[in-house]
Amino acid sequence: MRQRLETWLTGPRLLTLGIVGALAWSLSRVEWQQPIAHTGGGAAALQVLLALFPPELSGEFLRICVVASWHTMAYAVAGMSLAVLLGLPLGVLASGVLAERQSAGRRVAAASVRLLLAAMRSVHELVWALLFVAAVGLSPMAAILAMAIPYAGILGRIYAELLQDVPSEPIAALKTTGASPLRVLLYGYLPMALPDLLSYTFYRLECGIRAAAIMSFVGIDGIGFQIELSLADLLFRQVWTLLIFLVALVVAVDWWSTRVRRSLAY
Amino acid sequence: MNAVRPVRTGEQVVTPEPLITIKSAAKVYGQNRGLSPLSLGINAGERVALVGPSGSGKTTLLRLLAGSLVADGGAGAVRIDGRAPASLRPGPELAGLVGIVSQRFDLVPHLPALHNVLAGRLGYWSLARSVASLVWPLERRAARDALAQVGLADKINERPAHLSGGEQQRVAIARMMMQSPLVVLADEPVASLDPARAEEVMELLVGLTAAQNRTLIASLHTASLIRRHFTRVIGLRESRLQFDLPGEQLTDGILGELYDLGAGEDMEPLAGLAARDG
Repeated sequence: MRQRLETWLTGPRLLTLGIVGALAWSLSRVEWQQPIAHTGGGAAALQVLLALFPPELSGEFLRICVVASWHTMAYAVAGMSLAVLLGLPLGVLASGVLAERQSAGRRVAAASVRLLLAAMRSVHELVWALLFVAAVGLSPMAAILAMAIPYAGILGRIYAELLQDVPSEPIAALKTTGASPLRVLLYGYLPMALPDLLSYTFYRLECGIRAAAIMSFVGIDGIGFQIELSLADLLFRQVWTLLIFLVALVVAVDWWSTRVRRSLAY
Repeated sequence: MNAVRPVRTGEQVVTPEPLITIKSAAKVYGQNRGLSPLSLGINAGERVALVGPSGSGKTTLLRLLAGSLVADGGAGAVRIDGRAPASLRPGPELAGLVGIVSQRFDLVPHLPALHNVLAGRLGYWSLARSVASLVWPLERRAARDALAQVGLADKINERPAHLSGGEQQRVAIARMMMQSPLVVLADEPVASLDPARAEEVMELLVGLTAAQNRTLIASLHTASLIRRHFTRVIGLRESRLQFDLPGEQLTDGILGELYDLGAGEDMEPLAGLAARDG
């Protein structure tokens, strides 16, 4: 009996038991006599929702929105450009496609780059922003670097996977022409992975716009900064307008990425 | 390295030693025998057909010759023109020594035929030229000529997805001509083509390698094609050499026996071939 229990209690099962136990314990600590949600919450939410209509559409405020959108877009594009410049070479190194022949040294090198990428993306852009503000002060550069580093970590990891997933037959054929790994990368891996690389980069740009919008607290202007101001003044109609601009930016990037991908279709 | 090069004396080409020497080359994959120790010599200008059922060692032998596999005894077991392809680094020396055309899925689908053909030059080009050529194709005229020779001059800007199987294989042959290695390997170059297309592609491959005075080694299953185009035929079964004959002496009987005794996987194409040959 004891032996059966020991064979049953493997690592994953122990972990599951631990999680279920923690959940049960946390439920036991809830004070069920108190209402879980704030009682007046529903009414307040309704009030905010109604206050959003109609959105503020005065010419002066629209001008502010356009400028704020422009700034958010500019920060997103700057951060993403830097992220691509960092992420692509790191992704290529992490994918191991540049290795001429498999060797222990190559595997260690690729694994260390993967570790670096993991470290870059495991810290959220807001945390990076706090670190950079501490280091270089409130400046646009801090915001751009804060975005570029975790995004480069994410891009590098996805790029590496996309490069590894490329069909192997054309690659093998290119190698038999006596082409070096770097040339095989240029004429095989990159052209074949390009549609997916672009598609993912555009998706990340959408995420970048979202991230740039909430970077306002680092001191950069943009949609997030304007939302913060309007919220502070309880001007919910302005918040609604700003949110429409934010959605419009993301939709525009989506439309742009569809156009680019269509032009690459074969 | 004292490379043995063919010496041209008058009309005849005299080779003091075979262009290709294989000395007890063997390959074992885990539990499976890819190739039992095999020794062969192949002279410059020969056209050698490799026959045998699936798993008989044809592809292993071709990959050993291409240098993409290393023989168990070491890279030196296979030498072409005195050099061991498996020990050469990518570059002009390897590119000029040996190249391979395989079944059909070996073009880059996202690049036009022009760039796929120019990829044959990658072993010779500097990195700067390789990068520049992606944007402004270099050696355009040579690529156009190569495509014209395989009858695809008008398809220079087509992507492989818009080409038929036979056309894709001809683009691969044009790429091989741009590479122009001493030894041209072909791994079942006509296996995925219908008989008429197979005849066309084989004629091109043999005609062009003969015109450049290259050595051709191809694996295929069709006795009529072998008799018509190859000077020598080597039969492999269960990773061992079964026969080594002049091409015209290959009969359907010899081929049938080779396949009959094997795993039997390749019986269907053979039945079709017997009907066509009859």
